[in-house]
Amino acid sequence: MKTDECREWRHSLGAYVLGDLPADERAGVQAHLEGCAECRAEAESLKSVAVLLPLADPDRVERPASQPSPELAARIEATIGGERRRGRQRRQRRRFGFALGGVAAAAAAAALAIAILPGGGGGEPEQHVEFGALPGGVKIYATLEPHAYGTEIHMYVKGVRSGTLCRVYLRGPHGERVPAGTFTYRWGDDSDAVLSSALDLSRTRAIGVHAGNRTFVAPVDTGGATASTHSNQEDVT
Amino acid sequence: MQPGALRQERDVREAYAAHSGELYGFAMRSLGDSGLAEEAVQETFVRAWRAGERFDPEVGSLRTWLFAILRNVVIDLSRARAARPRVAEGGVEPSVEPLEQALLAWQVEEALRRIGEDHRRVLLETHFRGRPYNEVAAELGVPEGTVKSRVYYGLKAMRVALEEMGYED
Repeated sequence: MKTDECREWRHSLGAYVLGDLPADERAGVQAHLEGCAECRAEAESLKSVAVLLPLADPDRVERPASQPSPELAARIEATIGGERRRGRQRRQRRRFGFALGGVAAAAAAAALAIAILPGGGGGEPEQHVEFGALPGGVKIYATLEPHAYGTEIHMYVKGVRSGTLCRVYLRGPHGERVPAGTFTYRWGDDSDAVLSSALDLSRTRAIGVHAGNRTFVAPVDTGGATASTHSNQEDVT
Repeated sequence: MQPGALRQERDVREAYAAHSGELYGFAMRSLGDSGLAEEAVQETFVRAWRAGERFDPEVGSLRTWLFAILRNVVIDLSRARAARPRVAEGGVEPSVEPLEQALLAWQVEEALRRIGEDHRRVLLETHFRGRPYNEVAAELGVPEGTVKSRVYYGLKAMRVALEEMGYED
């Protein structure tokens, strides 16, 4: 246990280990340390910090700490979000069994293909929709995920002219169209476009894409709803 | 999923909120350029996210893990920046010693920032600027013994701060 004597010397230990004590006080501390293991241990502990002090630049310490720009967090999130989506896209393509060679023939043969696979947020299924009967070389498919705000849409398009403006919408149970945003298809871009619509996925009956002067529509099976009977390709009005 | 593992974007957001300031501070100290420092922090979180499954909280804290990644990122960025023919001609890899030194120096400076203002002030004035204790005491309007005890408690607090940052002597 610390004695009063220890308490008195302890307050000098900082200056002692830093070598800042006058000679007479220094001798007094040394004499105390020789007879007190507890204070010796304390001095050793402080010394391990004191030896590091010369590394520090006092001017840097007093300068206000610099902070990253507020946009950095958003940039990191965007990078990670992009990687996550690309990873999911790859998994999705594997699930669909998209092999570049066989796609066109398969698409021509099938009027519409719809796949519902487990996954998505909150245990609700996300929906994978493949657009069928497309012109040769064109591929369109989408993943729809339910959210509280509506529906998140990941749209993958390939084979249309680079620079084509694509406008996406969801169609509700009464035929109403709720916009989901736009994107521009660029040749060589293998990423998916991420869009959102206020229409709830459970109320979504179809998804449509205006691409250039053509419109492609695929039904969305939201459980219990019968698939729409409209054509999968519409003329732009 | 292990607790603390960076598997979700939400985990990354939380880790960023908790550690980005320090990581950026060290990156700035090492690279001396705010653009490069931000690049280093961004790359650190992206690498951490990619390797999230490998993070084991039983081996070390998330903070320590992030600093280990940042250290590698800083080395990569420094090498990229300093890539000159003479390095290849000399056949000598750039030493990592200065970086370890920079990390330690940054930790000591950060420890000084974290301790109370009163303690920091006396350490800076007496030890770093070599001013006599009685002069500092007069300036602060406190007894000389108080300056001495602030030096003592300041060092103790620095030790705690350094330990919090993972420093082991």
